[in-house]
Amino acid sequence: MRVTVKLFATFRDGRFKVEERELQEESKVLNILEPLNIKPEEVAICLVNGRDVNAQHLLKDGDTIALFPPVGGG
Amino acid sequence: MLEGRYVRNQETLTDQDQNKLLASSVAIVGCGGLGGYIAEELARIGVRRLVLIDGDRLEVSNLNRQIMATEASIGQWKVEAARDRLQRVNSEVKVEIIKEWFAEERGTDFFSEVDLVFDALDSLATRVVLERVCHQLKLPLVFASIAGWYGQIGVSLPGDFSVLRLYGHGDRGVESKWGNPAFTPAVLASLSVAEGVKLLIGRIPALRRAWLQVDLLTMEFERFELPSFESI
Repeated sequence: MRVTVKLFATFRDGRFKVEERELQEESKVLNILEPLNIKPEEVAICLVNGRDVNAQHLLKDGDTIALFPPVGGG
Repeated sequence: MLEGRYVRNQETLTDQDQNKLLASSVAIVGCGGLGGYIAEELARIGVRRLVLIDGDRLEVSNLNRQIMATEASIGQWKVEAARDRLQRVNSEVKVEIIKEWFAEERGTDFFSEVDLVFDALDSLATRVVLERVCHQLKLPLVFASIAGWYGQIGVSLPGDFSVLRLYGHGDRGVESKWGNPAFTPAVLASLSVAEGVKLLIGRIPALRRAWLQVDLLTMEFERFELPSFESI
């Protein structure tokens, strides 16, 4: 299956803004994070097609995944 | 009142809007990069009362971005430096200062007779607590956060849980690595005040159940929805 991965804020550093990825069926958000070298605990919020999900969420063909790091400064 | 002080607010704000602001009371939790600019803008636009909450003193590393920080004020309580500056800007605003860190059990005291709260904190965990307290007290909350070139801002009304969903995971923000340059707090504070003013004058805020993701490197401002749990 094919999904679109969007990275935000500091996740873009040394990576990309948006890319398409080919994944095996039954892949989870976790399987997107691993090759990007992003640990699940580094993700503040993950949206799949606009809904917030956790790293165990099962992906399906055509999904758009948006990943945000915690931005907490004041 | 100084005649003409609010002349340039006119048309954007009706006389009725201005009067609502002049009767309003606002708490700002955190008086650093974001909180300083938020307080400055609220004093200039003309609110009645500002409650500033911060348990920290100014240090040299604050000078790059905190509008209340000057070389002469290093070592001073942040809320005291803020009050001194605000009184010079607008002596008609009542500024109350609290030299304490925000804590859940102090919410009722801190927010007595307050109409709106700004989250200008720098701790993810405390942000979540602040939202809970605001909701318990039926207070609207405008939250903003910054790190490097990036920021987030939104509005949380009782029952929304926007802050919990955005900041409830992860123990430390990326600002610990990327720092906070001068321009990011100024932008996010201004966006916060624009939303806050709408709440104070009874207009609909644009960022309820949503947040604006601000990227000053690419100059992209993107809105994301945080629909209520019931609709998920």
